[in-house]
Amino acid sequence: MSLISETSAARAGAEASSAERPIFNPVPLAIGSAAICIWYVLVRIYEQYFGWYAGLDSFTPEFQTYWMTILYIEEPVELISFLALVGYLWKTRDKDVANVAPREELRRIFNLLSWILVYAVAIYWGASFFTEQDGTWHQTVIRDNDFTPSHIIEFYMSYPMYIIVGVGGFMYARTRLPTFACKGWSVAYVLLFVGPFMIFPNVALNEWGHTFWFMEELFVAPLHWMFVFFGWFALAVFGVSLQVLGRVKELAEGAPIPAE
Amino acid sequence: MFRGKPTKAGPVTESISASPGIEGGAGASAPVRAADAGAADRSWPVTGTPFKNRAEATFLVSAADTLLLISLFLIVLGGYHIHAMLTMGDWDFWIDWKDRRFWPTVLPIVLVTFPAAAIYYFWEHFRLPFGATFCVLGLLVGEWINRYVNFWGWTYFPISLVWPTALVPMALFLDLVMLISGSWIITMIVGAMGWGLLLYPSNWPILAPYHLPMEREGLVMSLADLIGYEYVRTSMPEYIRIVERGTMRTFGKDVVPVAAFFSGFVSILVFFMWWYVGKLFSTTKYMAKI
Repeated sequence: MSLISETSAARAGAEASSAERPIFNPVPLAIGSAAICIWYVLVRIYEQYFGWYAGLDSFTPEFQTYWMTILYIEEPVELISFLALVGYLWKTRDKDVANVAPREELRRIFNLLSWILVYAVAIYWGASFFTEQDGTWHQTVIRDNDFTPSHIIEFYMSYPMYIIVGVGGFMYARTRLPTFACKGWSVAYVLLFVGPFMIFPNVALNEWGHTFWFMEELFVAPLHWMFVFFGWFALAVFGVSLQVLGRVKELAEGAPIPAE
Repeated sequence: MFRGKPTKAGPVTESISASPGIEGGAGASAPVRAADAGAADRSWPVTGTPFKNRAEATFLVSAADTLLLISLFLIVLGGYHIHAMLTMGDWDFWIDWKDRRFWPTVLPIVLVTFPAAAIYYFWEHFRLPFGATFCVLGLLVGEWINRYVNFWGWTYFPISLVWPTALVPMALFLDLVMLISGSWIITMIVGAMGWGLLLYPSNWPILAPYHLPMEREGLVMSLADLIGYEYVRTSMPEYIRIVERGTMRTFGKDVVPVAAFFSGFVSILVFFMWWYVGKLFSTTKYMAKI
């Protein structure tokens, strides 16, 4: 995927290869989006059955078997996945990112757009689908535990998943695109992944409040407003999109395009 | 550590400028062409064309627009939905919370936020007059999927109890004022006031039957109240339902217009602030280090 150019010969060979390949390959995007959606549909089916069957009383053995087991598995898997992804993207970084050929740069821009779209799909499932789902479950079923069936999916699965994808996209941009690697730190892109990321640590406030303050699940309670504050940072996609489109325009207008 | 070895150091600056207008580039009354994305500095060198021919260039530029538009829709959906459900959600979730006082007061005020920011982004940078409708459609997609798949599908509440508030007429009004006036100040004053005023009439056709009075075991209540009593929500008991409170009862049937006008007034102020929030998050600046 990446061009690791230790020598000018390697760079020249890579550029020759780059010129032949299509710029936009939709297959990784399709696989990434479909994998997330199919996975969450399966999760939703699991919730449907085991939420009512084993998710009502956290003191029962069934709860430990069918819900806490998921928590114990997903947390280390997410941490390992995060470290592996960051490590891979760093290890395979372009060490001469300032001198990427225009065609290869545009290809990487499309790879970044794919990262952002998969991030958007993950954001939808986490911030919209599973968060409002948490509302109906917790307003219906009495909570007796911080780790409820909806929380085990929402907080500890869907939020880490979009964080991992978001950090992955940011790392990709920082290590492979001159616009994001050489001009400094994009304020908008930092806000775009740090803001939604902070929703996850904010879970600590939420659980503290529901444990020591009040148990009712009034959704508009001030206890929940820090989630809102960090949700606002999703709007930083505006700045990121302007930076990406700006660079596409620069590439398109930087030199004459052959008619045929 | 991440930084490469540039042959030409690029300055830390904005690559895209906002269009000129009143309030320092925040929109203009006269029709002014929006600044093209990337029209400002060429701070990073372009050494040749990436395209084989014009057909490929046309396809790829359109593909980039499409990918970004879908991403924008889903990310704005997520951000707007989490904002909406945690600032006005209870009034939107349940029919017995859709009252004459708090529902028409709270919803427009907290929901004009993202549309104002999106109008800034789409209008100032692309001259596209659909920022509010774009946000509201995203929110409604997220809400309708949830009400069917989760409220009805998982916890078995009837859709008549949990339908989301209709918001499209309000958003269309806001966008139309922006399109016709070309002025964010006029949009703020006229559009945001209309945004507040239109909530109740937009929802009245579906809401009216639920506000009919009925008698149950000697008590007078609305049909919406009865549905709420029948479907007990154990972690959100009746004593925290925030409806029909306050001295506005003094005015009897006229509480909705008063609530709507107040809501429209505050929506104007919120629109003003969130126009600048949109500007803040549309930044194309770079930091030297974090």
